[in-house]
Amino acid sequence: MLLLTRGFPLNEQGVKLKKELPKGRGLWVDGLRRLRRRKLAMVSFGIIMVYLLLTGFVCVTEIFDWQVGPARWDEKVGSEYEPPSAENIFGTDFLGRSVFRKTLYGTKISITVAFWASVISLGIGVPLGAIAGYFRGVVDEIIVWLYTTLSSIPYILLILAFALVLRGKTVFGYKLAGITSVYLAIGFTSWVGICRLIRGEVIKHKDREYVLAARSYGCGNSRIILRYIIPNVFHIIIINFSLSFVGFIQAEVILSFLGLGEKTRPSWGAMIDAARLDLPKGYWWEMTAATIAIFFISLALNIFGDALRDSLDPKLRIQ
Amino acid sequence: MNDNQTLLSVENVSTHFFTEDGVARAVQDVSFSIKKGKTFALVGESGCGKSVTALSIMRLVSTPSGKIVGGNIVFEGRNLLELSGKQIRQIRGNKIAMIFQEPMTSLNPVYTVGNQIVEAIRLHQKKSIKAAWADATETLRKVGIADPEQRVSEYPHQMSGGMRQRVMIAMAVSCEPTLLIADEPTTALDVTIQAQILDLLDQLQEQNGMSILLITHDLGVVAERADNVAVMYASRIVEVADSRTLFAEPLHPYTQGLLKSLPRLGLSAKRLQTISGTVPDPLHFPAGCKFHPRCCVGCSDKRCQTVEPKLRKVPSGRYVACWYAPGYEKKCKT
Repeated sequence: MLLLTRGFPLNEQGVKLKKELPKGRGLWVDGLRRLRRRKLAMVSFGIIMVYLLLTGFVCVTEIFDWQVGPARWDEKVGSEYEPPSAENIFGTDFLGRSVFRKTLYGTKISITVAFWASVISLGIGVPLGAIAGYFRGVVDEIIVWLYTTLSSIPYILLILAFALVLRGKTVFGYKLAGITSVYLAIGFTSWVGICRLIRGEVIKHKDREYVLAARSYGCGNSRIILRYIIPNVFHIIIINFSLSFVGFIQAEVILSFLGLGEKTRPSWGAMIDAARLDLPKGYWWEMTAATIAIFFISLALNIFGDALRDSLDPKLRIQ
Repeated sequence: MNDNQTLLSVENVSTHFFTEDGVARAVQDVSFSIKKGKTFALVGESGCGKSVTALSIMRLVSTPSGKIVGGNIVFEGRNLLELSGKQIRQIRGNKIAMIFQEPMTSLNPVYTVGNQIVEAIRLHQKKSIKAAWADATETLRKVGIADPEQRVSEYPHQMSGGMRQRVMIAMAVSCEPTLLIADEPTTALDVTIQAQILDLLDQLQEQNGMSILLITHDLGVVAERADNVAVMYASRIVEVADSRTLFAEPLHPYTQGLLKSLPRLGLSAKRLQTISGTVPDPLHFPAGCKFHPRCCVGCSDKRCQTVEPKLRKVPSGRYVACWYAPGYEKKCKT
């Protein structure tokens, strides 16, 4: 007769017939496995990877000064305002440059801006939120006051003000030009959302039993925040990163459109800005190219972010 | 009270919670002492202040609302209430360890159990990660987990409640504490596992010679395991005795009521007695003896309604807080 112990068959002597237990899977591995089963999410992930690889490729061509593809965006490839053709799939702009190459190059600008803006906003929002939520009291009130004040100012105005102030300033001997001032402006103004989320989550977690237990082993506050609470709310940071990325790409477009962004190199926002005057004349392709580029990355990031949320949210699994 | 056999003595400790609705006196004037290598049980209904007493000893009462407002907690000759934050952290986990009621939520879900035990060890002992892992595996074996080499790298959600409680115990005893506070260690587990966990605690106590403060509402658990018992009711200890005498001859009407409400083997199956009424709200305790509205002896006694009896030694050598306990008043007059 076979006895079953923990799902493994034993023989009469009680010796396990199967040697190995399945290897332990962490929450992350588990979540990512779940994510891999979602087809749409994986397609979105593929699209995001294409954009990221393109960004990497453009960076590499710049570093090594290779004169290929998007790096040659400022080359004249035909007469001005050529409509899309087999040669130039998105046509040419008012200087006869390939719109397709400009769009590819613009990817780098947009992704870089969105990436650094995310890093800055998480770098401000997560520590502030964690400190406010964990210590409460006066610290909490100051931080909450800070972000409610910040969030009461209309976003676009605030971001414009920051971009205008930062533009052309020299900080630590480094001149804030072009996209640097853009991502600083976006980063400094957009940490409110994540700060609020993290604060709420930390408040929820800090009275959980495992935190009390950690304290009973003699853990100090900083250890509890860094080793216990942050890892447990980290999925929120990841999800927020992927969802706010879209917002930052769009913010860059808006800033460039308003003339505060990159001036010398093409970005999606600058392309739309340039195409604004061309559109009434019937030259639709530059606007279309930039819009398509924005559309796909936004859609992909949104779908992927939602899927991430669904598969990483521990509420679905931990009881 | 403070001879060298005493490991911990809690003297007149009061812990209050300052809430918006008023002051909740969760623990009032509680005193008891635990001897080295012995098990001391704290028994009482939910909400009577058992857990808050335990948290007060660890200085883990949640701030800012909760505060220990008076008394001394002397552990190995040092008053825990006077220690700095850093000093108390060196005692927590190292000298005094605690296991909690809910093994399902008391482990950090994002790390493997090995990781967590290693962390507890390395907080207090200067050991290499490798040595700490070896220790962790060894401790898991000691608490009776099969395949500790495998289990050490598993996550809490892969384990059952009983196993998680074993892991909690492993973490607690990994630094060989001299006092283990077990806050309802078996409440969330089913009966067979309960017995195993309690046996495990006994066995570890024998090996390490540690004292155990066992907090429970289960009198059956107490009768078998504890050397001494304190019965708590509505924030105060109402009776202290060694467990044999307490069960044989309870003095306080509350203890009597509790024992009468237990089913006993060998007695004919009559309807069990109950204690009528409910535990009073800590924000609005009744005047006088807090038990008098539910008491079968003193509910109509003027003195019970107005003057609260303090815990006192009665001639039989036990401690009780009841005007009707034999010898209580005589002692009182002197």
